[in-house]
Amino acid sequence: MTARRPTLNGVLVRRTVQLAALVLFFGLIVSARRQGAAGASLWWQGFFLLDPLVLLLTWLAGHAVPAALLVSLGTVAITLLLGRVFCGWFCPLGTIHALAGRFLEFCWPRRKRPQHWSRWQLAKYYLLFAVLLSAACGVHWGAMLDPLVLLYRTTVTALAPGMQWALEDGSNVLGMSEPARQLLREHVTEVERQAFYGSGLIMAVFVALLALNRWQPRFWCRYLCPLGALLGAVAVRPLLRRRVEPASCNQCDLCGLKCHGAAAATPGGDWLAAECFGCLNCTSACRRGSLGFHLAWPWQASPGSGSGTALDRSRRRFLNGLRGIAGATAGGLAGMLLLRATPQARGSVGSENLVRPPGSLAEREFLKRCTACGLCMRVCPTGCLQPTLGEAGLEGIWTPHVVPRIGRCEYDCTLCGHTCPTGAIAPLTIEEKHATKIGIALVDHSRCIPYAYARDCGTCVEACPFPEKAIRLVDVEIQYHDGKRQRTKVVSQPVVDPDRCTGCGGCVKECTFKDEPAIRVVSANETRTPSAKPFLEMQQNSAAKQPETTTPPPGDNPYGGS
Amino acid sequence: MSNYSRRDFLAHSAAAGMLALQADRLLAADKTAAKPADMAIARWKGAEPKDATDPQLADIAGKLTQKAIEALGGMQRFVKRGDVVWVKPNIGWDRTPQQAGNTNPQVVAALVAMCFDAGAKTVKVGDNSVHAAVKTYESSGIAPAAKTPGGKMVFLEKQGFKETAIHGERVKTLMMYSDIIECDLVINAAIAKHHVLSNATLCMKNYMGVMDNRAPFHQDFAACLADLTRFMKPRLSVLDAVRVLKDHGPTGGNMEDVVVKSTVAAGVDIVALDALGVELLGREPGDMRKAQAIIKYAQEAGLGKSDYHSLALKELAVS
Repeated sequence: MTARRPTLNGVLVRRTVQLAALVLFFGLIVSARRQGAAGASLWWQGFFLLDPLVLLLTWLAGHAVPAALLVSLGTVAITLLLGRVFCGWFCPLGTIHALAGRFLEFCWPRRKRPQHWSRWQLAKYYLLFAVLLSAACGVHWGAMLDPLVLLYRTTVTALAPGMQWALEDGSNVLGMSEPARQLLREHVTEVERQAFYGSGLIMAVFVALLALNRWQPRFWCRYLCPLGALLGAVAVRPLLRRRVEPASCNQCDLCGLKCHGAAAATPGGDWLAAECFGCLNCTSACRRGSLGFHLAWPWQASPGSGSGTALDRSRRRFLNGLRGIAGATAGGLAGMLLLRATPQARGSVGSENLVRPPGSLAEREFLKRCTACGLCMRVCPTGCLQPTLGEAGLEGIWTPHVVPRIGRCEYDCTLCGHTCPTGAIAPLTIEEKHATKIGIALVDHSRCIPYAYARDCGTCVEACPFPEKAIRLVDVEIQYHDGKRQRTKVVSQPVVDPDRCTGCGGCVKECTFKDEPAIRVVSANETRTPSAKPFLEMQQNSAAKQPETTTPPPGDNPYGGS
Repeated sequence: MSNYSRRDFLAHSAAAGMLALQADRLLAADKTAAKPADMAIARWKGAEPKDATDPQLADIAGKLTQKAIEALGGMQRFVKRGDVVWVKPNIGWDRTPQQAGNTNPQVVAALVAMCFDAGAKTVKVGDNSVHAAVKTYESSGIAPAAKTPGGKMVFLEKQGFKETAIHGERVKTLMMYSDIIECDLVINAAIAKHHVLSNATLCMKNYMGVMDNRAPFHQDFAACLADLTRFMKPRLSVLDAVRVLKDHGPTGGNMEDVVVKSTVAAGVDIVALDALGVELLGREPGDMRKAQAIIKYAQEAGLGKSDYHSLALKELAVS
C-alpha cells in the first residue's frame, strides 16, 4: 500500500528531455552565430517551426502561411494526444521558469503550499483571445509574447552577449586559461562580440517574469503564456488523462504540492487536462498508488477527474466567462488602437532612422509578419541588425533595423532573409540583394572632412562595396584660410550616386568620425516603399543613360511590396 | 667556490650566452658564404593561363612564391627554430580569389608551409578585415588554404588593439594589434591592387591591417605609411601579382578589371617591392601619381630604394 509506483523514472525522463531541449535551444542559438559564413540553415529556425501560435498569428495577421511553419501542426497533434506535454516536457522557457522557481525556493525557502487551480489561470485564455482578435485585425504584436520568441529574443540580445562579455573579459577572474579562452572565442562565441541597443529593457522584462515565480510557481505558464493557452484550448480532452482511484485516495494532497500547472481544483480531484503539463510529479508523489494516467476517447468524460471547472456549464461560470471575453475584446481592441495611432503605423511616414534589413516587406506588411524574435540579429555577421525601441512605433518595438554605425549590411550576405521564420524579410538572391535599396547615404557637409575642413579623406569611397562605387570623388577647388590669408586648393569631395547606392552603410561604418558620422544612411529611396521615392530612376531614361553603367538597372524588385 | 657570488654567476652566464650567440652567427655566416639576393621576382613562363579564372593559377601562385623565397636564401634566413610567425595577407574584402580583392590563398599557404619547414613553432594568419571577418576569411579562400599546411587563422578582436607609441613624424601613437607586433616575424604578404584613393595598395599599405582606427591615414597616406612601416621594421615582404586588380580597387568585384600577371616578388626592401607593384599596375602615365609620391616619401625617409634594379636582384623564370 505504501509502495511507490515506479513512475519516478517518468520524472527523470521528463527532466532529461527538458534539459536536452534547453541545451538544444541554446545550442542552435550558438550555431546560428558560428556558421555565419556557410549559408542559412533551417535548423536555426528549429523551435519556431514547432510553434503553432506563430503560425496562427502570421496566418491571421499577414494572411500568409510560411510552409516550414506547418511543422508546428505536429505540436498540435501531440497536444491532442497527450495534452500540454509541450509545456511540461519541451518548452525551454517553461524549463527556465521551473528552474527559476526552484532557485528562488532554495534562496528563500518557505512553507510548501498545495498548488490548486485558480480562476486567474483563465487570464491566459483571455489574453490569447485578445491577441488573436487583434491579429485578425492585422496587428501581429501578440507574437512578441510567444514564449519561444520571448526567450529567443532575450537570449540573443541580452543573455548571449552578456555571457560572452563575462566569459571573455572575466576570464582572468574566472581562472580560465588563455588557450581555453581562445577555444571559446573561436569555436563557441565567435569573433565579433555582439551588443544590442535596448537589451537592458528586454532583460528587465525577462527577469520580472522570472521573479513572478516567487509568487506562484510557473506564473508565466499558468497565467500568461498565450502559447500555453492555445495548447490548453486544444487539450480539453486529450487521449491521455489522469485517473484517481477514489477508493485508495485519502486526499492527502501530496500530488497538489508539486503540481507544475496547478491543474487540479481540489486535493486529488477536479483535474483539468487543459492545465496539466504532464510533468508526472503527481503520480510520483502519490504514496498510495492512487494516481495514474490512462487513455480515453475525446467523447468519454473521465471518471474521477473534474467535470471541467474552466469549461463548466454552470450558469455562473458561463457568465464569468462572458465577462472575461468582453474584457479581452475591449483590451484587444484598445491595445490595437493604441498601437495603430502612431504616424509610423500608417506606413507612409518613415522614421529616417528606420532602415530595415534588405528584403523586408513594405512596412505595414513587415509588421504583420515580424515576431521580433531576433534570429536575423543573431545571424547578421556584422551585428548591424539592432532591435528598435521607438523608431518603428510601439507596434514595431524590438523589430530589426540596420544601424550602420555598428556594422555595414554585408554586400554578399542574405542570411537574414533566409532565416526569417515568418517571411517578414524575403529570402533574396545575391543579385536581388545588390539591386535592393534599403536606404541612401547622405553626406553631412558640415562634418565631412573635404567639405568642412578642406582636407582629403575619401574613407567612405574606399569602403563602398560596389566595384564602380556608389560614392565617387569629385575634385573641387575650394577656399580656405590657413591663419594668415585665404588660399585656394583642390580637394576631392565625395558625392553619392542615388541610382547605385543601396544604403548598406559601409561608408558610415568606416567614416573617420567615430562619434557622429559625417555620412549617414536614411531610409529614403528604399525599394520597399515606392511611394516615398525621392529620385527618378536615371536608367529608365535613355537620354540620360550613364555610359559607365555596367550593372543592370534595379528595375522592379519583387520584394518591394506596395 | 665559496666566493662565487650571484653577481659572478650572472656575469658569467651572460658571457657564455654572448659566446654562444657569436658562435651561432659565425657558423651561419660560414654556411651561406655567397650573399643571397635581397629581392627576387618570379615570373611564370610555363603554359599560359587562359584567364583570371584558370584553376591552374593556384599551382602557379604556390610555385612562384616558393621559388622567390628560395632565391632570397630560403625561409630559414628569416625564421629561426621555435619562432612564432605572423603571415599578414590582405584579407580585407569579401571577394573570391578570382576577383583579386585579397592576397592569393596559395601564396599564403606556400609561405605558411615554408615557415614550418624552417622550424617555426606557430604560424598565424590574420588581418583586420574591412568586411565581416567570419565571412571574408572563408570567401577569400585564405582560411582553407592556410589551414592545410597547419597555419592558424586568427580573428582579430577589438580589445586586442592597444595604443602603442610608434614615434613617427606624423603619427605618434597608433592602435596596434599587440599579438601581431609581438611575433618573432611578420611576413607582409600583399596583393598588388588598384586603390581609389592612393592609386595602388601594395606592401606598405598592407600594414594598415595591423592597426585599428585607420581612417585618419587617408588625409596623408605618404607620411602615415612611412611612420607605420618604420615601426613595423619589415624583414620579409611578398608581393602577390598573380592576378592584379587594375581598376575599381580596393574593393574590386568586376572580372574585367582583373589582369593575370603570374608574378610573385619577395624581398627585404619593402619600398622596392612597392615600386615594382606600381610598374605592374600602371596603365597610362600619370595614373599612379599618388602611389609614386608615397614611394618617393618612403625612400626619402630611408625605408628603402625605389630603384629595385640597384639591389641584389634575382629575376626567375619559373615553369
